[in-house]
Amino acid sequence: MSIKLIDVKKSFGEPPTNVLKGINLSIEDGELVSIIGRSGSGKSTLLYIMSSLDNASSGSILYDGDDLTQMSQKEIHELRNQKIGFVFQFHYLLQELTVLENVLMPARKHQMHKSMEDLALSLIKDVDLAGKEHRMPSQLSGGEQQRVAIARSLLMSPKYLFADEPTGNLDTINGDRIMALFQKINSEKKTTVIYVTHDKEYANRAHRKIEIMDGLIK
Amino acid sequence: MIFLSLKHLTAKKKQTLLILIGVILGTTAYVAISGMMLGFQNYIIDRLINNEAHIRVSARQEIITKENIEKIFYGKNVHTFWSIPPSGRRDSLSIENPKMWFDKFDSSNEIYAYSPQLTSQVIFKRGSIEITGKVIGSKPNQEIRVSNISDYMGENQKFTDLGDTGNRIIIGSGLLSRLGARVSESIMLSTGAGRTAPFKIIGTFTLGIAAIDNAQAFASLIDIQKLQGVSNRISDIGVKLSDVNQAQELSSEWKQFSRDKIESWEEANSATLSVFTIQNITRNFMTISIVVVAAFGIYNILSILVTQKRKEIAILRALGFESFQILEIFLYQGLILGIIGGIIGIVLGYGVCLYMSTLSVGSGRMMGSTGKMLVAFDTMIYVKAFTIAFISSLVSSIIPAYSATKLTPIGIIRSDGD
Repeated sequence: MSIKLIDVKKSFGEPPTNVLKGINLSIEDGELVSIIGRSGSGKSTLLYIMSSLDNASSGSILYDGDDLTQMSQKEIHELRNQKIGFVFQFHYLLQELTVLENVLMPARKHQMHKSMEDLALSLIKDVDLAGKEHRMPSQLSGGEQQRVAIARSLLMSPKYLFADEPTGNLDTINGDRIMALFQKINSEKKTTVIYVTHDKEYANRAHRKIEIMDGLIK
Repeated sequence: MIFLSLKHLTAKKKQTLLILIGVILGTTAYVAISGMMLGFQNYIIDRLINNEAHIRVSARQEIITKENIEKIFYGKNVHTFWSIPPSGRRDSLSIENPKMWFDKFDSSNEIYAYSPQLTSQVIFKRGSIEITGKVIGSKPNQEIRVSNISDYMGENQKFTDLGDTGNRIIIGSGLLSRLGARVSESIMLSTGAGRTAPFKIIGTFTLGIAAIDNAQAFASLIDIQKLQGVSNRISDIGVKLSDVNQAQELSSEWKQFSRDKIESWEEANSATLSVFTIQNITRNFMTISIVVVAAFGIYNILSILVTQKRKEIAILRALGFESFQILEIFLYQGLILGIIGGIIGIVLGYGVCLYMSTLSVGSGRMMGSTGKMLVAFDTMIYVKAFTIAFISSLVSSIIPAYSATKLTPIGIIRSDGD
């Protein structure tokens, strides 16, 4: 058992709107999980709470038994840096940095960017961007930028990879390539991949599909 | 995080250059204006300290007021109404007890030298030309230890040639011209009491102050006492201290036990010194205004940058970067601009000062012996200039940098989604 959510609730605003109404969920190591649901169902909120980017209003999120809600900010930052990779709908690349520099960003937190350069180059190759290491993000297509973001998320060899609608802004060809990459990462590196998608076909590629409806798992 | 700060700065070259120019201009202006103003002030202060006595003990001058009279005759508790309030002045022509002062000065380690003087208003006469002025009688060997008058004399002339007696005189160069006289010629000096004596001109001095150069002369103390018909009278004692900083303190101390007029060089030149204070306030106000404008530039651009870089902040936080590391990115940008701008500014300022020091701004000793502009190169000017640039950049970048740390990744992602 790697990630466990116990009665996780989330509400926003005043008067409070209950977005998550008590989620209980376990995700095993090495799983490929998709989260689906209608707009406003709470699927992205669930992903962000599960990945430590957002706080639950109540409930517990356990990472290998350690409760995220009890961790200090420093421990959470360390967890994000070392064990979690993120891919967003928008790639969020740093526009002033080259492809290689962007991929190496997570390693800069601990000044390990020089020692990890070879790994970064091999990740760039893995996402089919070999030869474009020194290009700026503005010189890449949307699909290529998203693949840079994936390479960046994998640099620290995270145990968990969270993706929020990673194919949302891409055409079918690029979307397929991204999904194929996720499947490859999951099968070869044994990384637990959890992604939110609107696309039923992409959702079906996961080992397990979690559907959120009105703040609860259907 | 300095890596990212540099990337941000180099990515927006025009913007960076504009802020940098602002910081450089502020720093350069501070160095140049300070160098120019302090150069002049230092020169004047140096002249005030070195050319004149640090403390001057003079014959008593007391203004009579109704308050003084009331205090002496009626005390504090009596209300007095005057039909005609008393007025007047109680002066003394000489120092009451010069020996007491000489003994005190001789036994004190704080006194470097002193020079008894007798000042007399006289009429300088040469033929039909008559000019009113002042002659100071002093003991030349003592006088040269108190004032730097020797430095302002003509070539191959010595102040000590006045001797202890012999009716020799050294006159201001302006006075010499006005009299139409020349060195080695004799002129007549007359006092108000009608006494007249011939004096031989043995030299001239040029202080660069017209009021003195055109109407003042030096002679030996004994000769002036003879001219006035008063033996042993002295009207002033010029005192040079071992430590000029003690002038005010010793002056206050001596006033406690003497009725003579005692004035430190600071008191005597308080008007000049207050002008310097106003100059300094103006200088600081001007240069700080320039730096504040540059600081606002840094503040505005970093604030805009924080807004522009919201997505980057979001991803950095998601990648595990902590608040202080986000703060560093923006803070370093301000500091880099402050440090580089400060360094270039002080180097440029130094260059401007060097250039100004070569400019001819008139002849005469007011602008130094070379007639060039007097410019100060004190290290503290450069330290202050750099500190102002550094601190203003630090302060102006702290607020936007701090606001960046308050952004949470989820807040940015949600607002982008909206």
